[in-house]
Amino acid sequence: MTGAFVRATALASALGPDLDSAVERLAGAPAAPLLNTKTGGAWPYFPIPAAEGDWRRRTEAIARSVAEDLRRKAALAPAQWANLPCIVGSSSFSVGAWDDGGWAAIEPSFEFSRRLAQAFGVHGPVTAVSTTCTSGLAALDIALGLIAEREFLDVLVLGVEFCNRLTVAGFAGLQLLSAKAARPCDRDRDGLVLGEALGAMLVSATPAPWRIAALAAGMDAASITGPSPDGAATAKTMRAAMGRAQWESTAVDLIKLQSGGGPLTDLAEARAVREVFASAPKSVSLKGALGHTLGASGPAELALLLASLARGHVPATWGFATQDDDLGLAPSGSDGAGVRRVLFNLSGFGGSLMSLALEKAG
Amino acid sequence: MYLLAPTVVRVAPEDFPARIRARFAAELRRAGRFAQLGLLGAQACLDAAGGNGPLGVLWATGMGSLHATRAALDEDLKRGEPAMPFAFVATQPHLAGALLAQRSYPVTRTACLYLAPGAWTSLPQLAQHWFDECERVLVGWVEESDAAGAAHRSDWCLLHKTLVPGAVRCERVRRPQNAAAATGEDWIPRIAAWHGSADALVLRGGEDAWSFTPDG
Repeated sequence: MTGAFVRATALASALGPDLDSAVERLAGAPAAPLLNTKTGGAWPYFPIPAAEGDWRRRTEAIARSVAEDLRRKAALAPAQWANLPCIVGSSSFSVGAWDDGGWAAIEPSFEFSRRLAQAFGVHGPVTAVSTTCTSGLAALDIALGLIAEREFLDVLVLGVEFCNRLTVAGFAGLQLLSAKAARPCDRDRDGLVLGEALGAMLVSATPAPWRIAALAAGMDAASITGPSPDGAATAKTMRAAMGRAQWESTAVDLIKLQSGGGPLTDLAEARAVREVFASAPKSVSLKGALGHTLGASGPAELALLLASLARGHVPATWGFATQDDDLGLAPSGSDGAGVRRVLFNLSGFGGSLMSLALEKAG
Repeated sequence: MYLLAPTVVRVAPEDFPARIRARFAAELRRAGRFAQLGLLGAQACLDAAGGNGPLGVLWATGMGSLHATRAALDEDLKRGEPAMPFAFVATQPHLAGALLAQRSYPVTRTACLYLAPGAWTSLPQLAQHWFDECERVLVGWVEESDAAGAAHRSDWCLLHKTLVPGAVRCERVRRPQNAAAATGEDWIPRIAAWHGSADALVLRGGEDAWSFTPDG
């Protein structure tokens, strides 16, 4: 059990330039992803609705906007804010700058992360971490260590993934993308749709509505690019998180699935859920609405989920229409008033697995 | 916490492919140059340390896979082929841990950090946090050569939760006095050079420091 809480969150994503607009948008009718000519092909994509232009200036503007929202919600004294440490998780960091400016425009990942921290107006120590699509939760894990050691009482955690054509080309080359839409858990799912996001969290030792009960990491080395079909490693990681949180499986009210519409990854996760839970709790996937935002997906999806729950509902899973009997999962929107314990799954290339246990405090 | 098998690997860029083939029999599929460099040093450290038990793999770098990324993409672009999957290149550091796991090591988690040179002290600090899940954490600092005549660097050590034969005690020093300044690139080589000495070694990075003491 950790002594850390989610004090504030903010988000820029395809659903909107800020978290409030994203939650409102998610409560409305599903929107299709855009065809993304910027990434050099016809693949659908979920971009942040921000003014186009020079990659660096665009990303800094997005960062400043998210920072302003987070700072307002965090309500820290100016000196406290300025001294925050910043942990940045990403899989691509500044590689999108290559699209505009070639090699000279790409910064080392640490320098990019430091510049991002400056855009947030924080000047504490900066750490950047990459563990593929779980990077945002790996950043959270580092923050939890700092809070546990009482190095800091508050830590800024960022999950960042900005549009770039190399990542899209890579996923396309692996035949992991859908040509139409992300359909998490759906019978007709045929691949991922990528997206960009900047998710921000202020993690704190000060009590707040949601406590981070536990965060467990795992490794599934069956394949570099996908999970073992049996879902055993995912199940083990989920059990580890629940064990550390001192939860029985019956205590879980909601699972935030990794599921993004990949035929095999969704199947592996569903098998893990069925192995861990005699009766599967409510579930939700946010990748039909945000796209798969890779290293940003932890903080981005967490911000969106907690903001939806704060408004009293479990959001709908965009793209899910028809249950796949092989999966046996039917993620759907519902009343969120009774949701007190959430298990939050992420997985990524290289067999990286993370499961986060969140519970309502008090 | 205890430290074992500080291992310093230097490879001239022109010798790198041969070193990889000599150690792993072939170039590693879907692992770019940076992941292979990390794996070369990590494997050498594990060979020296022996042992078993749940293993974390935690490494840091300043430049990361930037040079390898550029080399790989330049090569593809010259051939007029689509860029290789960038996700693999961008996530090279993480893949090295997975590749170790595929070699039958019980890897439970892995991460690559991008740090300021003086922030190496956060590696042993984070390793301690990982002992909730691992008995051992393989800790490294890896940099590709970025200048003519400079060698690739892949330096590693194994941190143990409990005392094992041959290990030195490794403790955080909150208010360091008489600590020698060390950087990300030289803290493991300095431990390797000191290893076997009867005196304690105290290395500082930023405002933090760690002491290394022969046990017993």
